[in-house]
Amino acid sequence: MAQTAGVQADEKALIRAAQEGDQDAFGQLVRAYDKSVLRLAMNLLRSPEDAQDVYQEAFFRVYRNLKSFRFDCSFHTWLYRIVTNLCLDHMRKRKVRREESSQVEGLDGPVDRMDTFQESRADGDPQRSLFSGELRQGINKALSELTARERMVFELRHYQGMKLRDIGEALGTTEEAAKNCLFRATQKMRVALGDFV
Amino acid sequence: MNSCEKVRTQLAMLLYGELSFDEEEAVDRHLEGCVACRTALEHQRHLHAAFDQVAVEPPASLLWESRQRLQQSIAEAHAPVASRRGWWDQLVDSLTLRPSSNTSSNNGWLRSAGALALLTIGFLGARVAPNLGPQIAGMSLADPGEQRVRSVEPAANGDIQIVLDETHQRVVSGQLDDQNIQVLLLSAAKDPSDPGLRYETVGILNDRAQTSEVRDTLIYALEHDENAGVRLKAMDGLRPFVTQPEVRKALTGVLLSDGNPGMRTQAIDLLTQGVGESTNDLTGKALDRDVIGTLQELMNRENNAYVRQRGQRVLQLVNASAETY
Repeated sequence: MAQTAGVQADEKALIRAAQEGDQDAFGQLVRAYDKSVLRLAMNLLRSPEDAQDVYQEAFFRVYRNLKSFRFDCSFHTWLYRIVTNLCLDHMRKRKVRREESSQVEGLDGPVDRMDTFQESRADGDPQRSLFSGELRQGINKALSELTARERMVFELRHYQGMKLRDIGEALGTTEEAAKNCLFRATQKMRVALGDFV
Repeated sequence: MNSCEKVRTQLAMLLYGELSFDEEEAVDRHLEGCVACRTALEHQRHLHAAFDQVAVEPPASLLWESRQRLQQSIAEAHAPVASRRGWWDQLVDSLTLRPSSNTSSNNGWLRSAGALALLTIGFLGARVAPNLGPQIAGMSLADPGEQRVRSVEPAANGDIQIVLDETHQRVVSGQLDDQNIQVLLLSAAKDPSDPGLRYETVGILNDRAQTSEVRDTLIYALEHDENAGVRLKAMDGLRPFVTQPEVRKALTGVLLSDGNPGMRTQAIDLLTQGVGESTNDLTGKALDRDVIGTLQELMNRENNAYVRQRGQRVLQLVNASAETY
């Protein structure tokens, strides 16, 4: 607990320094969070280019608006509010355009672009190579059929390990609404993937 | 909705620890008496593990590019038009420590970004095994982006010792029993920047876990790696050595402090291997008393219903109480 309080105090000091124009302090803040931001965007948008765009826009907005940050919420919540809004915009636009941007042409037909990252990791690991491609496709399909909000809540809870209270705060809603959203998402996933496991 | 149907809709939330106290109580009670729902819980757990397999870790190069682009955008937004310098010039300054005309505090972060670039691009071989390849003689500092002076220190004999970060990628190949290869692998297994690399490395090291050095590295990964997939992989490698005290100690640590319920479940299975396979001689004496004590302690603190259930089952099999005295 004391350590957490210490970390929060350090972060406050960094934010204050960055608000005063200290570029090194801003750089430290970016580096503290940017890997998880990029991971979130990449998993949600299934495109390294889009993930990088979200990264740029999010941290640039943070940079421009940091002076107006008044510590009403944690920096993490504030940052994630920006990032999740940007990701939701991207996801909704993509649904409208009905893009298939996560698909690329592979040797055996179209494959999910993210699979190329995963499969490159599977080399030399028989156990992982055996992981059913069918199941992976099933999961990706089930994820793509969630609404943008359900997908977001599922991502934040399952992959980012955030608690529902924090998710609600980041998405500007209540913990209960986030819980309902997660519940719907997990039910859809359970129904869609029931035959696989 | 009958109670089985209702419970099955709640299993995912149970695994996330997001049921209310009363909801979890009701689900726990139901699970105790319903084999079908316990099986469904097991399926849900497998599904959660499968979700983890489709997660993508952004490559280090993408993170580095993103940092560079951001830095460039911020620098461009700030620099006066007349004195605005190209991003390449700034990056070169940061990499070579060439004095820059721009003395603003922007440089500090850019220099850090430059160093990071080198660490990111710099391949493992250059970082951890400088003796494996050609020596640095002949490399030119004027070659921007190739290397950076990390530190300079006068030595006792009057020489100057310079530590260089290199950006060359090098391919090193060899058999697993090659000592140089092992040194690289042992280091890669602890590389904090790339969980995918650690996962693959630990998988390879699992075939050499009979040597104590490799086993120590697997134990380190089991105890300290932030990625559950890597920890699980390390646990797989230690499976044949579960009778060894240091492995049991590490597994006990997992049982009591690992945040991932799947890891805790696996630790129970490994520490209690053999229990339940034969009913003839399974008494408390058949199971290490320390393990019984650990399981009893686990029962006092475990919030996850499935892990609790697993622990209770083992304690029942060896006729031990679920309580500590």
